[in-house]
Amino acid sequence: MSFGSPWFTLPEFTYHKPKTLKEALELLDKYGEEAKVMAGGVGLLAFMKERLMAPSHVIDLKGVPELGQAIYKEGEGLTIGATVTLNELARYGPLKKFGALHDAVRDIADPIIRNRATLVGNLCEAIPWVDTPPALIALGAEVEIRSLKGERRVPVKDFIKGPVEIDLEPGELVTAVHVPEPRRNSRSRFIKYNTGSEFALVSVAANVVMDGGRVRDVSLVYGAVSSTPQVAVKAADALKSAEKPWEVLDEVGRIASEEVEAVSDVLASEEYRRHLIRVLTLRVLREVMG
Amino acid sequence: MREITLTVNGERRKAMVKDNELLLDVLRDKLYVKSVKAACWRGECGLCTVLMNDRLVKSCLVLAVEADGAEILTAEGLVKDGEPSPIQKAFIEKGALQCGFCTPAFVISSHKLLTMNPNPSDEEIRSFLSGLICRCGTYNQIIEAIRGAQKAYASR
Repeated sequence: MSFGSPWFTLPEFTYHKPKTLKEALELLDKYGEEAKVMAGGVGLLAFMKERLMAPSHVIDLKGVPELGQAIYKEGEGLTIGATVTLNELARYGPLKKFGALHDAVRDIADPIIRNRATLVGNLCEAIPWVDTPPALIALGAEVEIRSLKGERRVPVKDFIKGPVEIDLEPGELVTAVHVPEPRRNSRSRFIKYNTGSEFALVSVAANVVMDGGRVRDVSLVYGAVSSTPQVAVKAADALKSAEKPWEVLDEVGRIASEEVEAVSDVLASEEYRRHLIRVLTLRVLREVMG
Repeated sequence: MREITLTVNGERRKAMVKDNELLLDVLRDKLYVKSVKAACWRGECGLCTVLMNDRLVKSCLVLAVEADGAEILTAEGLVKDGEPSPIQKAFIEKGALQCGFCTPAFVISSHKLLTMNPNPSDEEIRSFLSGLICRCGTYNQIIEAIRGAQKAYASR
């Protein structure tokens, strides 16, 4: 029973399930903007029910074996295929080396959703409050894109162009996300402020490289604060230039809370978000520097 | 329309489906598996949860065509020779329901949890079931029911 309401039904489309990457790319090339790819389908089917999307062709990637693999190579990093689910990734041992990503993927939505939802899908939705982009940006991750014309790589930071807007042309497919090997003496974490399985009001990923008692390098990236993930450059500089970094954490949190773009919406006011940014910055830095 | 074949609770079933039909709607309206409840259709309440190829999924977020060839297990499938399974008996004994609408989803999910881990902590139970909503608020009794069925799973 579906009551004929858009909330309960999907618009009509033709379902395709290619068995090779070549076949998938040919379908994408043939149907162009008429097509959407599906991995876990969690986001796509929700968008389609609400009629925010109505592709004539849905291309299910789960029949393509090479897209279903997460592969870690020492010294090179971690490559996560387009159909690897969040639960599969969470269980993959080497993920622990990538602290911020490990934190983020284990706490998205709920465990049943994570049986279907994928990392690449979570990223490609580019909804401002999803969790994996801040973690991926802090870790310097890149998106691997293929089409019949060739392949290219784009840093995650540039891949997300706006809310629900990504750097992807018709005919192109995100085949994987690549996270480089963490630098020596580095440590990263991701934390978010939310209730239950709700979306984050503010999230932050931090990746630091320690050098004795000083911070040689740090990346601070905020999610859910504005239309795209925000990188706090001034706050990072303040931490790097401090001779005794532990003594300036309050100041770093304050700079970050003033520096990044933050908006008011139904979930939280700008003022509240800036307060949360200050508090979460302090917390995440204590974790990664400790 | 195309024909799909599912193994539902051990029985091979065929159905003619359109590409845009949800597994949830096909299970309920074409195969008459009525323990699978439809409530939100958007992956939030979890009451349409089934085991698909031994993995818990919310069937409102799965296309029926995607499930072609899959094995589906629902609360009905836990009953053997008319006898409820230990987890189903435990739900009754501990009064882990009020209106009962969410019960099949909690039963099949609790069954999966205990199959993987016969001795979960309270926190593991809460986290595992966090994608399901019981509007009568019987969460504590559900945990008691899982505790009540633990022994049966440990000895399997």
